[in-house]
Amino acid sequence: MRVVTLRINGDEREIAVRDHWTLLEALRYELGLTGSKQGCDKGDCGACTVLVDGEPTLACVTLAVLAEGREITTIEGLAPRHRASGGEGADPLQEAFDRCGALQCGFCQPGTLLSARALLDRTPRPDREAIRAALAGNLCRCTGYTQILEAIELAAGEAAGVEVPTPEWMADLRRAEGTSRP
Amino acid sequence: MSARDVHGVEPPWGDAFSVIGKPHRKVDGLAKATGQALYADDLSLPGMLHAKTLRSPHAHARIVSIDTSRAAALDGVHAVITGADLPTPYGVIPWTQDEHALALERVRFIGDEVAAVAAVDEETAEAALERIDVVYEPLHAFLDPHEAAERGEPAIHPERKKGNVSKHVELEFGNVEEALAEAEFVVEGDYFYHGTTHAPIEPHCALARYTADGLLTLWSSTQITHYVHRTLSAVLGLSPTRIRVVQPCLGGAFGGKSDPFSFELCAAKLAMITGRPVKLLWTREEVFYAHRGRHPMHMHYRAGADSDGRLRGVDARILIDGGAYSSFGLVTTYYSGQLLTGPYDFPAYRFDSTRVFTNKPPCGPKRGHGSVQPRFAFEVQLDELAQKVGLDPIEIRRGNFQGSDTSTVNGQRITSSGFAECLDAVEHASDWKARHGALPFGRGLGVAGSMYITGTNYPVYPNEMPQAGVQLKVDRSGLVTCFTGGNDIGQGSNSVVAYLVAEELGMDHRDVRVVAADTDLCPVDLGAYSSRVTFMVGNAAIDAARKLRRAIVGAVAEAWEVELERVRMIGGTVLDLGDAERALTTAEAFQLAEARLDTLGSTGSYNTPTLGGDYRGGTIGASPAYSFTAHVVEVAVDEETGRISVNDAWIAHDCGRALNPMLVAGQMEGSAYMGMAEALLEHHEVNRFGLHAGPSLLDYRIPTAVDTPELHALIVESLDPEGPYGAKEAGEGPLHPAIPAISNAVWDAVGIRLRHLPFTPAKVLAALSERTPRAAGSEV
Amino acid sequence: MLRLPAFELARPRTVEEAVGLLAEHGDRAAGLGGGTDLVPNMKHKLVTPEVVVSLAAIPELGGLAVAEDGTLVIGAMCPIAKLAAEERVGAGWPAVAQAASLIASPQLRNSGTLGGNVMLDTRCRWLNQTFFWRKSLGFCLKKDGSECHVVSGGSRCVAAASNDSAPALMSVGASAVFVGPDGRRELALEELWSTDGVRNKRCEPAELLVEVRVPPTAAGHRGAYGKLRDRGSIDFPLLGCAVRLDLDAAGAVLDADAVLVALQARPARLRGCAELVGGTTPGSPEFAAAARAVAERAGRKARPLPNVPGDAEYRHAMVPVLVRRTLEAAGAGGGPVHPL
Repeated sequence: MRVVTLRINGDEREIAVRDHWTLLEALRYELGLTGSKQGCDKGDCGACTVLVDGEPTLACVTLAVLAEGREITTIEGLAPRHRASGGEGADPLQEAFDRCGALQCGFCQPGTLLSARALLDRTPRPDREAIRAALAGNLCRCTGYTQILEAIELAAGEAAGVEVPTPEWMADLRRAEGTSRP
Repeated sequence: MSARDVHGVEPPWGDAFSVIGKPHRKVDGLAKATGQALYADDLSLPGMLHAKTLRSPHAHARIVSIDTSRAAALDGVHAVITGADLPTPYGVIPWTQDEHALALERVRFIGDEVAAVAAVDEETAEAALERIDVVYEPLHAFLDPHEAAERGEPAIHPERKKGNVSKHVELEFGNVEEALAEAEFVVEGDYFYHGTTHAPIEPHCALARYTADGLLTLWSSTQITHYVHRTLSAVLGLSPTRIRVVQPCLGGAFGGKSDPFSFELCAAKLAMITGRPVKLLWTREEVFYAHRGRHPMHMHYRAGADSDGRLRGVDARILIDGGAYSSFGLVTTYYSGQLLTGPYDFPAYRFDSTRVFTNKPPCGPKRGHGSVQPRFAFEVQLDELAQKVGLDPIEIRRGNFQGSDTSTVNGQRITSSGFAECLDAVEHASDWKARHGALPFGRGLGVAGSMYITGTNYPVYPNEMPQAGVQLKVDRSGLVTCFTGGNDIGQGSNSVVAYLVAEELGMDHRDVRVVAADTDLCPVDLGAYSSRVTFMVGNAAIDAARKLRRAIVGAVAEAWEVELERVRMIGGTVLDLGDAERALTTAEAFQLAEARLDTLGSTGSYNTPTLGGDYRGGTIGASPAYSFTAHVVEVAVDEETGRISVNDAWIAHDCGRALNPMLVAGQMEGSAYMGMAEALLEHHEVNRFGLHAGPSLLDYRIPTAVDTPELHALIVESLDPEGPYGAKEAGEGPLHPAIPAISNAVWDAVGIRLRHLPFTPAKVLAALSERTPRAAGSEV
Repeated sequence: MLRLPAFELARPRTVEEAVGLLAEHGDRAAGLGGGTDLVPNMKHKLVTPEVVVSLAAIPELGGLAVAEDGTLVIGAMCPIAKLAAEERVGAGWPAVAQAASLIASPQLRNSGTLGGNVMLDTRCRWLNQTFFWRKSLGFCLKKDGSECHVVSGGSRCVAAASNDSAPALMSVGASAVFVGPDGRRELALEELWSTDGVRNKRCEPAELLVEVRVPPTAAGHRGAYGKLRDRGSIDFPLLGCAVRLDLDAAGAVLDADAVLVALQARPARLRGCAELVGGTTPGSPEFAAAARAVAERAGRKARPLPNVPGDAEYRHAMVPVLVRRTLEAAGAGGGPVHPL
């Protein structure tokens, strides 16, 4: 066991880890930060994405010991960060995911949200192609990505004070005549 | 069907819905977005042990001996169990219980469970597995379903009487041979659907606790709490009253978490032995071995039509590769034929489906269970027929549409059907008339349609009790808590329950809490499968809410000394329509009613009406309502590389009523994405050793955001007379047409018929090289 | 979850210290860059080091700079994302920037290092699997077994070089600088590879790759990288091709090169490229014809084996397509060619 000090979501946390433990294991099982998910065991799915010095990083292939001295942001850190800077509710991106239906099972979304957060921090108004590219390491099995893309566009648009087009399903629902045909 | 099950399609108060039909947030959306939602592996208990499973390295073998003594002696190991500790067979279908938590005498695929260890941590448990000594006597392994169909020895399940045949169903409606003989045009062909798997991003996980008073609690990533409850009781020999099963937040399922599994039984047994909480989390590799995914199907179809394109008859012969166990296979075998009989009318139909056992990971129910494969074959064949007849592919579908309020050739009752509107919607949105057959070579449009069940009236075990139950509890604060056994697996069923109860009680839906999928707290629901939850739990929720509403309205009317009709619950208040000055808040109304009546609460339930054809198996596939879908996809085919790119997909789906159109659109988009992934990328492949060819999320290629086309969800509402406010399913139906629509679009693009999945670039190139040059005028 | 086997982590602060540790522990040690290759391989027990030597705390390895003489100097620990995003790399060595941009996924490019990609272990469908999986198979020639499942009866491992950076760097004449117990040596990347899939690099276990040096390209340099894979992200190459074209002032090709990867154990330079396209002008029919000739030659010479996932015959059929399209992209000053 080795005692390391990790800087996570603004807090200094001293924990004992073994050399071969990954950052994901330390976050989930030693620190109780279970928002970072484990999906594939080895760097294939993106569910464990956290921000290390602002860059999306896979916690499942990062050794915990080597995260010392870096600034780590997990999904649990986004809303408090937003509030600390004077905001209300959760991070606008988290709110947008909720408002757009982007959270189905929700399991991949902590990782996806952090990839998206890093994108918007760097590029406030990305086009759809850039958003797709930034999410290309986060597998989502539920949504077909559409409502995730819409959520990121909504958050980016609102931050810039720009109106965002409504999704297609918001158009008039087509009412079939068929129900009580004789 | 009793009157209580039909609630009408109209708003309960006045002309408009207050909550329903709007894109409200989900009850658990922000919890998920902020990382606060707890999934099974996020739970831990003091003193918790970790369990791991030893798996068979042989595809088919007899277990000669197992010696666990070296493992048990390892420091940190608390218990080791083998098949002898859990000898009772189980399986989700009562008639085909051929599974054991751990193998008894025989292993049937590489990855079959053999032993389990509980230890202080995962690493110690893993080390202990290597110290379990198993002697195997390898047996001939069946990897080819054709061989398994013909050869019964060695039997994979010797206790079964029919060799390696798992299930055979042959049904004929009308006279198919006669119909095809009379048809003007007949198309005949072979089609193949490969295996695919669910691959939810959350791996399966269970946490078991057995307390000193003999109570077992299991938190499990299951989509059917009730069947896990029953199976635990049967296999562990514990009274169900001593068992509580809870489904925490679930990280995707798609059918892959429907069976009761070994990991649940082993975690529970190990907790009982050690007296300590035990967690068993599968690795991603283990999820692939557990599988229960899409059955590979070898399909032969004949379809005949008149000169005007009217279908005369359809004949199907299907060989289904079931893998090592039965799972839901009995139902799969029926579904492979029973669910094809809409949205088109054909007077004669026959199917002959055989499911065989092979020494591969067991197949089961995946989104669109049993019907995605035949739908692919038939919708491609329908395009071939349109070509022969000389009809536009949308027109042949329109011309054969069976309509609503009708019955199918195999005796299923169709109520609402918005399929014609679905065709209209995709035709219009894709600019089909101007562009189909008119795009430059290499680009094309394809269409396909489908039908799917909204729940089934066949409960997995025969019983007369409701399929869904809901209980409401009222708090003086104005809060209503809704208890439902329904499993929210990400589709949003808990949210739907909150919306429905809020609508009925004229409340803010955020003042409705939902407690779900906990067998101690919630009335039984049969779980999240067959697209039954919104329909059945929704109807039960309306039933319960209406009873509660009557009590509250009655108490208020009595207090106000007015007619019942004058009391309206809306917008978080209770109003007197006859006196604009008089109003109560919902909380005040609850208090008034509680004071006058008693502690407030209600129950509601849903059961299906008697449905189905009057023949053996006639109830399998009988649904209280069917959903309908049409897709048009636009593809580009690179003639040199064979690569198919899907650029746009228009998905029109008749969901009855969109209780929350945002959630409906999400289901439609997710379904279409998953179907395209199956068509183009994903392959659950077993190699020549009987090993899964690549059990990882690297080798099993799930599309990323850059691989997914623009998906356009077009919602059609047919208002089903029996659905909750008219709603039907949206989570499985919209997957079906994705696959044949791509094949049909490739025909439009480059003139090749893709009949064998997956549509790899290599297959496309091979087909292109065999293609006869397109003769002028030979195409439609 | 799938856990890492236990090891001891060393965090040297200098190259000398790192080399000393590698020399001291020999086969029992492994150098750790970004971890995106080594960590999964350790989880699969393909490598089981007792001591893992992290290079993260050695500041001098992280650089990315253009030297006074115009040489691009990439520190072994330079993140792939940084290399891909650096404008000077894109302008001067486009094939290198393009290849870097197509490695794995965004997150893996943030952690993964250029040195790690150069030193990436060879890959094979029969190899990059868990210990249980490999055991069920009876293991293979490269690790723990004696049989090759790619080439029946084969005695030489044919696991494939799968690093996108290698052909790109080779196409522009890069060299690798190693520091070992015997000091520093620089060798052309060309010389690094062997045909043995078990260990396809000619360097000693105690030698540490410290930097990659890429000579300046000429004014008329054009380059591109093309990659065949199933998805638009994450996947290793099923084929990769880097192309270099050096044009004279009039726009005609003076020199040309094409290098392929994901065929066999070593990245392979396609010989005779310059002879075929030399003198032609990109955009002209002559160049197009020459590109087709190079592609045909590539199809004859390059024989993908069924080592990495996917259909080997299909990969073979795609060799000429990839080579031609990458040549054309380079000629047009474009690229990357992806998806193919």
